[in-house]
Amino acid sequence: MNTELKRTLRKLFKNPSAILGFTLLIFFTLVAIFAPLIAPPVNPMFPDENGNPMKLDNPYIMPILSWSSDPVAPSKDHPFGMIAGRDIFYGVVWGTRTAFKIGLIVVSASTLIGLIIGSIAGYFGGWVDEFLMRVTDIFLSIPFLLAAMVLTTILGSGLNKVMIAMVIFGWMATARLIRANILQVKEEQFVLAAKALGIKNFIIIVRHILPNTIFPVLVQATMRLGSLVITAAALSFLGLGAPIGYADWGSMLNYTRNYILGASGQAFTYWYTVFYPGMAMVLFVLAWNLVGDALRDVFDPKLK
Amino acid sequence: MDKKPLLQVRNLKTYFYTEDGIVKAVDGVDFEVYPGETLGIVGESGSGKSVTSLSILRLLDPNGEILEGSEIIFDGKNLMELSEDEMRKIRGNDIAMIFQEPMVALNPVFTVGEQIMEAILLHQDVSKNEARKMAIDMLRKVGIPEPEKRVDEYPHELSGGMRQRAMIAMALSCRPKLLIADEPTTALDVTIQAQILELMRELQKEYGMAIILITHDVGVIAENADRVVVMYGGMVMETADVKELFRETRHPYTWGLLNSIPRLDIEQERLYNIPGIVPDPLHFPPGCRFNTRCEFADERCRKEIPPLYEIKNGHFSRCFYYKKVEEAQKLKKAGESA
Amino acid sequence: MTAYIIRRLLLLPLILFGVTLIIFSFTEILGPEKLLSAYVNPNVFDKLSNEDLDKLIEKYGLNDPMWTRYFKWLGGVLKGDLGWSVTAKEPVAQAIKERIPYTIELALYAMIPVIGVGIWLGVAAAVRRDKFLDHFIRIFAIIGWSLPDFVFGLIVLMIFYSVLGWFPPGTMSGWAEEIVKSPEFKRVTHILSIDALINGRVDIFWDALRHLIGPILTISWLWWAYLLRITRSSMLEVLGKEYVRTARAKGVPEKDVIHKHARKNAMIPVVTVAGAMVIGLLSGTVIVEVIFNRIGMGRFTAQAATQLDYAAVLGSVLFYSSVLIIGNLIIDILYAALDPRIRLG
Repeated sequence: MNTELKRTLRKLFKNPSAILGFTLLIFFTLVAIFAPLIAPPVNPMFPDENGNPMKLDNPYIMPILSWSSDPVAPSKDHPFGMIAGRDIFYGVVWGTRTAFKIGLIVVSASTLIGLIIGSIAGYFGGWVDEFLMRVTDIFLSIPFLLAAMVLTTILGSGLNKVMIAMVIFGWMATARLIRANILQVKEEQFVLAAKALGIKNFIIIVRHILPNTIFPVLVQATMRLGSLVITAAALSFLGLGAPIGYADWGSMLNYTRNYILGASGQAFTYWYTVFYPGMAMVLFVLAWNLVGDALRDVFDPKLK
Repeated sequence: MDKKPLLQVRNLKTYFYTEDGIVKAVDGVDFEVYPGETLGIVGESGSGKSVTSLSILRLLDPNGEILEGSEIIFDGKNLMELSEDEMRKIRGNDIAMIFQEPMVALNPVFTVGEQIMEAILLHQDVSKNEARKMAIDMLRKVGIPEPEKRVDEYPHELSGGMRQRAMIAMALSCRPKLLIADEPTTALDVTIQAQILELMRELQKEYGMAIILITHDVGVIAENADRVVVMYGGMVMETADVKELFRETRHPYTWGLLNSIPRLDIEQERLYNIPGIVPDPLHFPPGCRFNTRCEFADERCRKEIPPLYEIKNGHFSRCFYYKKVEEAQKLKKAGESA
Repeated sequence: MTAYIIRRLLLLPLILFGVTLIIFSFTEILGPEKLLSAYVNPNVFDKLSNEDLDKLIEKYGLNDPMWTRYFKWLGGVLKGDLGWSVTAKEPVAQAIKERIPYTIELALYAMIPVIGVGIWLGVAAAVRRDKFLDHFIRIFAIIGWSLPDFVFGLIVLMIFYSVLGWFPPGTMSGWAEEIVKSPEFKRVTHILSIDALINGRVDIFWDALRHLIGPILTISWLWWAYLLRITRSSMLEVLGKEYVRTARAKGVPEKDVIHKHARKNAMIPVVTVAGAMVIGLLSGTVIVEVIFNRIGMGRFTAQAATQLDYAAVLGSVLFYSSVLIIGNLIIDILYAALDPRIRLG
């Protein structure tokens, strides 16, 4: 096992795209951790009695630094430019935290639900399996974006609602994967042996089956994370997710659209309004996709 | 056998370039095949026997290379010097091949007939209708019942034995001069194995083709081959006429292989196994490749690679101590008859 | 196989029943007052007294148990009545009927480059494994797969509309709209570009196409990337199979080995992925129609959802889910057509 692990790691770090993925991921993690240092959550427009800039109550609400809402080109003070009176650099940095928050919470919650539903269906089989799989079919029959969109508005918009909606409609793939794996593992000798020894069902699932199916789930979760962040951003872009002024890449791009549609012929002068938030999102998603791809290659060489 | 050989392989070296290093799968192999005979190539998996056969048709994976200086002379032409297009005209036409697993060697999305007809249409100037008739005739010839119906069936609709028969029909549809059969019966049931081998012998008689029969099964070799090449670690260990090889074994590896066949004529306490494992082709031992498992090996064997000694006309052994093997065999025979 | 298709077709209404039930039960969260807003003009709504509200809630049966109201809605659906859409200011069924052709037009045109280019590039990359072209195509694919459609749409809009002025947003130009709405213009298929050709108006055809290219580029970009990745890995797997070697040993030219023997097998898993593609293209039309201001089901659904026009939302979900389920069924049939082991098994 140990040499196997070494081989796996060596294989992982020989692959240039995996290295790029991990590097990007580490970079984003550092940006998220050190966001308060990179972009201090203060508003210089409102100094307190000592002349220091005012501290923000909620650092995720981007401070309004100018009353003009037109985009302002990048400068020394605002390296990524400004839009709607807000600093794009600030939004991109704090948006990293938002992206991690959305991605990790939605992926872990929906994976957990999928894990439970899939385990129950796969282990008990029979009518329980039949019922749960038909429910899964039904949930899979509504396009994900549409379902998330509808549920978010019904719940009343906002980032938390987006996350709830995405979890409710995001567990099916994991459930199917786990079920299929369990059906396969169930027939293997060591599980039959455990059953013959009279070990309880629950313990068999937790001790014997889950460890054998966890890697494919992990790979799938990593691969899903990127696309979930995109969907959340799309909902913000449609005006359903993060409120205006929230440090979220999707809602920052929502502003941009109006300028592009409105200002024919000169929109290219506003390139930075798409470029920086867009680039941050692309690289973030790219990082997860590369890592997911690399993990899949390592754990399942067949799929290469 | 003083006829002109149909195929001459000289100093064949096929290396694979992998992430972990160079695999010398075939490292200087020589043999020849005469018209109409069956040459058996025997060895354990990893001995280089399959790579040898693929090298003859130049069908190696992209990371494999036949080294400069190797010669494969077929019917007077050096196949190494042919263009890909000229080579293509030989494959399936002059030299045909059948593989171990008829299940995976036939394309699942085409009917058996389509796959046989493809070979015919590629190499012969006939119409589609004629090709279809020829395909049906071929299927009948290999003993498939109701060939008119089977011709339109997909491989998965046939049984394993039937699939291998279809595979043979496909290989022989252009009447090749040489048929390379790579473990043709390994994946089949014992009774079907015998049928397929019998079929191959009959068709060989009828068509007069030469066969290279590649197998790990010494029993199959004993019954079907005229001459035998024993391979180990990418090299030829011993070559001889089949009867002579069994009667006058001159290489410890062959000796081990023969002793590991179960026998009915004498009582055996337990089956003999060659001790040790096949060496990793990335790290062959210096000297004789068999020295790690050889009971006769000494310092010299661990330093030098032995040459091929010609023991008799047509009998070669790559062992410094082939005489010791001779004595061991004599001792054993004496023990058995006593 | 036929039995399987019939079983699936019988399951279709059952799944649609489940789908609408889920969405319907979610709208329960809203409560009767919010639900009422779907029936009343918003300008009047604010001026209503509490008593009036209660009366209206009673009138529309919004206090009834969910099951009663669901089956009432379902009864309407079976009669072709999907309710009234506040956003479209017309019956939902009518609104959907008007918009479907535009979305179908977009999806169909987008599928052509996706399937053609995606599969072609995937095969090309697999055949040249680890060569320059393969690396180039793979980098292109992974970037494509990571680039959200709305970001790409904005870039397309910026370059091709704002800077170059080639592909404007919207569905058609003003002058074209006047002609299309006039009685002389016959709507045969209701698909704009095709109707334009039927009416012999090449200018309107070009105008429609000009408005379509941006959205097509945006949707297809992501799915090229996806399809080419799947095609490449499937092709690589098949190229390592023994029957490919058998074909080579038969003397089949390399061109035929790849395009006949290998590709037909490689397409089998690709077709299953096409199921995900149908879903993706569908969701993609929502975003793209919003970005490019196009008439269509996607933008209608987005508007209905943001304005809690729940009759329209239910209608849209019904439409999208039907397309999705039928799309998956068609893919299963295609799958069987490609693979004799399934067709005859």
